[in-house]
Amino acid sequence: MGIAREIIRNRYLYVLALPGLMFLIVFAYVPMAGHLIAFKQYRLADGIWGSKWIGFDNFKFFFMSSDWYKVTFNTILLNGLFIVCGLGIALLIAIFLSEIQNALYKKIAQSFIFMPYFISWLVVSMMVFAFLNTTDGILNRTLAANGLDTQNWYLMPRIWPAVLTIIYVWKFAGYYSIIFLAAIAGISGEYYESARIDGATRFQQIIHITLPLIRSVLIVLALLGVGRIFYGDFGMIYGIVGDTAPLYPTTDVIDTYSYRALRQLGDFGKSSAVIMYQSVMGLVTIVIFNAIAKRIDKDAGLF
Amino acid sequence: MVVRKGLAAAAATALLLATAACGGSNSGDGDNASGTGSSASGTAAAESSSSKLDPVTLKIVMPGDRPADMDKIIAEAEKRMADTINVKLDLVFVPWSDLAQKTQVMLASGEDVDLIFDAPWLHMDQMISAGYYEPLEDLLDQYGQDAVKVRSQQMFDANKFQGHIYALPLGNTHLAGRTYLVRKDLREKYGVAPIQTYDDLISFAYKVKENEKDVVPLLAYGQSGQKDVTWGAFRAFMEYDPQLLRSDALGQSLVLYYKNNDGKVYNLFDEMEPRVWSWIEDARKLYTDGLIHPDVLAIKDVDSVINSGKVAVAVYNEFGVPSSISAALAQNAPGAELEAVTFIKNEKGQNITNFKQANFQAIPKVSKNKERAMMFLNWTADKDNYDLLAYGIEGTNYEKIGDDQYKQIGSGYSYFPYAWIWNPTTDRLNAGFDEESIKHYQFNKDASNLTASILTGFSFDPAPVINEISLYNATEDKYYNALFDGVTDPDETWAKFKKEAEGNAKKIQVELQKQIDAFLAQNQ
Repeated sequence: MGIAREIIRNRYLYVLALPGLMFLIVFAYVPMAGHLIAFKQYRLADGIWGSKWIGFDNFKFFFMSSDWYKVTFNTILLNGLFIVCGLGIALLIAIFLSEIQNALYKKIAQSFIFMPYFISWLVVSMMVFAFLNTTDGILNRTLAANGLDTQNWYLMPRIWPAVLTIIYVWKFAGYYSIIFLAAIAGISGEYYESARIDGATRFQQIIHITLPLIRSVLIVLALLGVGRIFYGDFGMIYGIVGDTAPLYPTTDVIDTYSYRALRQLGDFGKSSAVIMYQSVMGLVTIVIFNAIAKRIDKDAGLF
Repeated sequence: MVVRKGLAAAAATALLLATAACGGSNSGDGDNASGTGSSASGTAAAESSSSKLDPVTLKIVMPGDRPADMDKIIAEAEKRMADTINVKLDLVFVPWSDLAQKTQVMLASGEDVDLIFDAPWLHMDQMISAGYYEPLEDLLDQYGQDAVKVRSQQMFDANKFQGHIYALPLGNTHLAGRTYLVRKDLREKYGVAPIQTYDDLISFAYKVKENEKDVVPLLAYGQSGQKDVTWGAFRAFMEYDPQLLRSDALGQSLVLYYKNNDGKVYNLFDEMEPRVWSWIEDARKLYTDGLIHPDVLAIKDVDSVINSGKVAVAVYNEFGVPSSISAALAQNAPGAELEAVTFIKNEKGQNITNFKQANFQAIPKVSKNKERAMMFLNWTADKDNYDLLAYGIEGTNYEKIGDDQYKQIGSGYSYFPYAWIWNPTTDRLNAGFDEESIKHYQFNKDASNLTASILTGFSFDPAPVINEISLYNATEDKYYNALFDGVTDPDETWAKFKKEAEGNAKKIQVELQKQIDAFLAQNQ
């Protein structure tokens, strides 16, 4: 009864929510049934229900390899770097932008920082290659012009977590900074006013007013990132690294590894098994981190 | 709050787009449904009275982009067919990037398709074992005599799946071409005679290395999906006594291989073939001497590097210099010119092949116009009709040169006969090719010039070792190309590769040998 009355009373608000809800149901809840495929020898013709149950057989190929913990580690490390550096620098940018007084300059700076977000990974990949290749890459030319030894960057796996992080920050920092900027804009000017009367410096205002007041936004964004920490960004990593074998030791993530292992076989069951592994691990992590976030700040958790 | 709002907005937009897309495709389907509805009755009528067939629209699914002049060619074709098989054409082009997924969904959802492109490298085996395709023997007998005539018997025998012809093999030759593209202008600049042997090629490369600072002497492929075209492995296509042939189980890899046509599977981990090892060591020397491109493993788009004019020799998967590359190169580096060099022999019986083709047209079980679809395929085997569909309108899109060559005019009708009508008899060659390449094509059109592999007609069922294959592939990707492009130290890399991959390779070898033995026993 309670629910029905609630719905009737706020019917227009619920109608507004309807498209979003439909989207979630169609693209997030219905496909969950697809996890069944992970336990089946899936054949298109037989359909999901008609295919044979094979228990955990599909998981074998992934966990039988000696690489599964390496690619899992790479996935977590890269995504961890992305979350920390991406959000950290976005936060800095947002604070700097919000402190700029000249409105025109502020808008222009904001647009330029935001722009890389619209460049597709394929184009980014070509830019990276133009920058790092051995024969006429910008970086090697610069090194040579300064009398330094050139390097074959595509044979040096250890620098690639840094390279990928820089690219990620370059591409996404502007995007996240807009979210932070919006949160900063929502802070009442009265706080700053009274702080100024008390003689607080600009820096003190940032530390004691701005940061604490946008903390919850920061935590939500971080939690959203953590929830996907087991998913390698396939578009990015495969786009940039591609099939360049010498870089696998540090850049091979769960998604690229399974793609390579399965691309000739086109096996739905095995790929579903990998996704299942990622989803379950992602769920576990987000439950843990949500609990931690709630400890820090009671209102900050996602649920 | 901000995040939520953003999400909701995104969701709303996505929803709008989705409904719009659905609406679009729904109306499309509606049209087709009505079209085929009338055509179903058409076929029924056709069977009773053979004098005049009712019009039928065939929906044909193909990869690639729709050429600008497609409608003109369709109009002309329909005009020619009006009095005979009376077929209208509804050609659906699926972009290469979506091909696998989209065609799979089309078949799985039972969409009304009359002819569809498929290939072993796409998902042909899965689709056949899932039962989506009609076996073609009866249809070929009844309506497809010409389509059979323009192809060799070997082509049909070798491309059976589970003992049946499930799709029409498309190919204009019986042996895949392999070529070194060589910069002719540089060769002449340094007074090097035309290249005859692999040693000539390498000494030319050293000349380039000494004299041209900005040109990389050698380029091969290095991304792990392209193992057969790495510098060292590519040589397997050009060397004889005996030829080393890649296995049916691992596709591009040389780790399991056949030789001497003896029906045995050899394994490099059991015993290293000295010749293969010499290729690896040679590649290593060329790489450390700075001849092979230092970024060979990282380059994703090899063609664009060749086009830029900064490479002297590159490997290529066809006979002859493709016109697209020579045009682009001429534009980027004025004066630069490529020539095709191959060491594949043009002597009867020298090359062993299993006559497997790479492209097919299949008739889905759901088609209501199977007879007409076959009649159409049969119609395309006629020389004039083939010319129309393959090269466009004479004088506008192409120019005939003799009986077996053509010259393309403009770009209104791009080349795609391999996707639906290719055959070795009526196909014309690009007159832009050099004489040597044309000789190769013509020679390999005739199946009797090649030695048939005793495994002709064999196909490998990966199901029993599917885990081993996926694990093996993932391991091989780490080492194989670095070895055959000479990027890492051979001894060390081979030792690591062997340690990680040997067990799985052995299991695959044993299974493959088992299936081959059964196949051979059955054929005797």
